[in-house]
Amino acid sequence: MKVIAIAGANLRRMLRERSNIFFVFIFPIAVILLIGVQFGGGIDPVVGLLAPEPDGLAVSVADAVRGVEAIDTRDFESEDALVTAVERGEVQAGVLIPSDIGEVAARGQIVEIGWVVRPDGLGIQLQSVVGSAIAEVMKPVGAAQFASEETGRDFETALGQATALAPAMSDISVETRTVGEALFPPSMGQFDLGAPQQLVLFTFLTALAGSAALILSRQLGISQRMLSTPTSTSTIIGGESAGRFAVAFLQGIYIMGLTWVIFRVNWGDPLGAMLILLLFSAVGAGAGMLMGAVLENEQQAAGIGVVVSLGLAALGGAMLPLELFSPTMKTVAHATPHAWALDGFAELVRHDGTTLDILPELGVLAVYATILLVLAAWRLRLALTRPA
Amino acid sequence: MGAPRLIAAKDLRLRIRDRSAIILGLIAPLALAFIFNLVFGGAFEPGGIDLSYGLVDEDHSDASVALGEVLGDVESQGILSLETFQEAGAAEAALDSNLIDAFFLVPSGFERQIHTGGEPVIEVVGDVDEQTSTQIASSIADQFATGVETANLAVATTGALAGGGASPELIASMGGDPSTAAFSYQLVEDAVPTRQLDGTTYFAAAMAVFFLFFTVQFGVLGLLEEERDGTLPRLLAAPLGRSAVVGGKALLSFALGMISMTVLIVATQVLMGAQWGAPLGVALLVVTGVLSAVGIMGLVAAGAKTAEGAGNLGSIIAVILGMLGGVFFPIGGSGDLLSKLTYLTPHAWFMRGLGDLSNGGQWTAALPAAGAMLLFAAITGVAAWLLLRRRLLA
Repeated sequence: MKVIAIAGANLRRMLRERSNIFFVFIFPIAVILLIGVQFGGGIDPVVGLLAPEPDGLAVSVADAVRGVEAIDTRDFESEDALVTAVERGEVQAGVLIPSDIGEVAARGQIVEIGWVVRPDGLGIQLQSVVGSAIAEVMKPVGAAQFASEETGRDFETALGQATALAPAMSDISVETRTVGEALFPPSMGQFDLGAPQQLVLFTFLTALAGSAALILSRQLGISQRMLSTPTSTSTIIGGESAGRFAVAFLQGIYIMGLTWVIFRVNWGDPLGAMLILLLFSAVGAGAGMLMGAVLENEQQAAGIGVVVSLGLAALGGAMLPLELFSPTMKTVAHATPHAWALDGFAELVRHDGTTLDILPELGVLAVYATILLVLAAWRLRLALTRPA
Repeated sequence: MGAPRLIAAKDLRLRIRDRSAIILGLIAPLALAFIFNLVFGGAFEPGGIDLSYGLVDEDHSDASVALGEVLGDVESQGILSLETFQEAGAAEAALDSNLIDAFFLVPSGFERQIHTGGEPVIEVVGDVDEQTSTQIASSIADQFATGVETANLAVATTGALAGGGASPELIASMGGDPSTAAFSYQLVEDAVPTRQLDGTTYFAAAMAVFFLFFTVQFGVLGLLEEERDGTLPRLLAAPLGRSAVVGGKALLSFALGMISMTVLIVATQVLMGAQWGAPLGVALLVVTGVLSAVGIMGLVAAGAKTAEGAGNLGSIIAVILGMLGGVFFPIGGSGDLLSKLTYLTPHAWFMRGLGDLSNGGQWTAALPAAGAMLLFAAITGVAAWLLLRRRLLA
C-alpha cells in the first residue's frame, strides 16, 4: 500500500506544477498537430508563380502550372520577391511568365518563360513536371505558328483552326502505375506516422524529467525522512519507480486517446498498443530513476534529460522514420528502446499485426525495462543509505 | 560601472562551478547537433535524387525510336541514366532489384495507333517507393507525347488552312519539319544562388540558438534566486543603485550567451565542418541574438513570482519560440499563416540571417535579420528593465 501512496504523491506533485501540465499534456498534442499539418499530406514541393493578368496566353500557362498535381503553387507579386523566395528555399523553383507572351507567339517567335532554380534544389525534377504541363497549353500555339509559316495565313486564323482541330486529334496517353509494396501505404492518415513517434519521444522525455523530482526529494531530505519511518528501502524504491512509470503511462494513454479521437490516428490492435506503451513507460521510468539516483543536481538532470531523450529519439527513429535510415544507421537505431517500440507500432498499424506478431519487440522492451530498473534500484539504494 | 561587472563576475564563477550552465550552454547543443546531423544528414541534403530509368521498345517504329532519342538527349545532359531492355520482364526484374526507379514501355502498334486515330499509349512503370522518380518519368513521357501530338496538329492545321487536308502530298511539299512545332516555347533557366544553410550548419545553428535561451536564463534568474535565498535585500543595502544589480544580472546573461555561442561556433566549425559565413555578419547576428534572448528571458523573470516559476515559464517560452522558429524542422514555405508566425521569433531571424550569409554572402546581408533581433531585444529589454527595477523596490 505504501508503494501506491508514494507513487500517488509523486503523481500529484507532478500534476500540481502548471508547467508540467503544458509539457505533458498540451505540448505533445500541439507538436503532433504541427507536424501533421506541415508534413502529413506528403510534402509537395512548392513552385512560385509570377503571372500577369491581362494576357490570355500567360493566364493559360499559369493555370496549367497551377493544375499540376504533384506540386503546390504560390503566387508572387514581383520578380524580386519570387527570386528571393527561391534563394531562401521557401519555394523550390519559380516560373516567371512575361506579360507579352501572347504577342511574342503571334509574331511566330519562341515564347520564353523564366525558370528560377537553385543549383542544389529540385529544379531538374520539377522542370519536367512543369514543362509537360506548359507543353500541353502550347500545343495549338506551336501548331498555329507552323501552319501560319507554311501557308502564309495570319497567326490568329491558324490558331483558331488549330484550336478547333485539337479535340479531334488522337491523344497519346501516358499510363503510369507502380509496383511493389509501399513502405507507407497511401491509406495512412495524415497523423498516423507522426503520432507513435511523438508518443515515444514525449513519454521518455517526461519519464527522464521525473529524475529532477527524485533528486529534489533526496536533496531536501524527504527520502531520508521516509526511511526513518518503518518503511523499507525496497518500498521507497518501488514507490518512486511506480510514480515515474505512472506519469509516463498516463501521458501515453492521454496522447493515444486524444489523437485517436481528434485526429483519427490508427493505433492498431488496442491490446498490442497498450502493451508497447506499458513496457516502454517502464523503460522510461527505469532510465529516469537511474538518472535521479546517479546525478546530484536537478538543473543538470534537466539538461542531461533533454539531451538524452531528444538524442535517443532522433537515433531511434522518432523524428525521421526508421524506414528512411541507411542500413548502418538502422542497426545503430536498434540500440535504443525507441526503435523497438516504433517497430512494434509499425507492425500493428501498417501490417495489421496482433499482439503475437510484436512479441519480439515486447521482449526486447521488457529486457530494457528490467535492466534499467534493477540498475536504478541498486544505485538508489546506495544513494539513500550512504551516509551524507 | 564597477559594481555590475563585479556582480556578473561573481555569478559567472558560481555558474561555471555548478556545471549546469555548461551542460545546457555547450554540451547539450553540441551533442544534439551532432546526433541530428548524423541521423538527418543524408535526408537533408537536397539534389540527392538519382534518376535511373529503363526503356522497353516493343514497337520498333520511328515514333518509339524518337522516344529513345529524346531520353538519350536528356541522359547526355547528365540528368538521368538510361538502360535499354529487350523485354518488359527484364525491366521488371531490374525494377524489383532496385537497379532502376522506373521504366518506359512502348507497346507494339504504338505508331500505327497514332496514324489511324486509335488510342496510343506509353506505359510508365515505377517502383512504389520511388514516387518522385516515377512522377518525373511520367512527365518526360507526357512531354514527348505532347510533342508528337503538336507535330500532328501542326500538319492537320496546315492541311486544313491549305484546303487539302493532311495528305502525304502536303507533307512532302512542306518547307519545314512539323516536329519543330513542339518548340514554340522554352524554359529559360535563371540559376540563382542558394541562401540556405547546408544540413550540418543548419543543425549546429538551430541547436545553438535553441539552447541559448536556456543558457541566458541562468543570469536573469539569479535575481529571483537571490530574492528567494534572502541575499537580495543585503545586496540592495550596499551602496549600489538598483540599476547596478539588474545590470549585473543582465550582463551575466549576456556574457553566458556570448561565451556559449562563441564556443559552439568554433567547435562546430572545427569538429563538424559547419560553415557559418562572413565573421562580421555572424558576430552581428550572435550579439543581437543574445541580446534578444536576454530581453525575452528578462521579461519572463520580471513577470514570474518565483525563481522556479520563471524557470518553468522560461522553458515553455523557449521551447515554443524554438519550435515556431523552425529549429527542429523548417516551418512554413507555403506562404500560409505559419510561415508568417515564424518571424515572430528571434530564432527564425537568426536562421534567416545565417542563410543570407551562406555561400559567400557579404556581412551586410545579415543586417536585416540583425535589425529584427535588435528590435526584439529593445522592446523586451526595456520592458524587463523597468519591471525588474520596480520589483526591487517592493
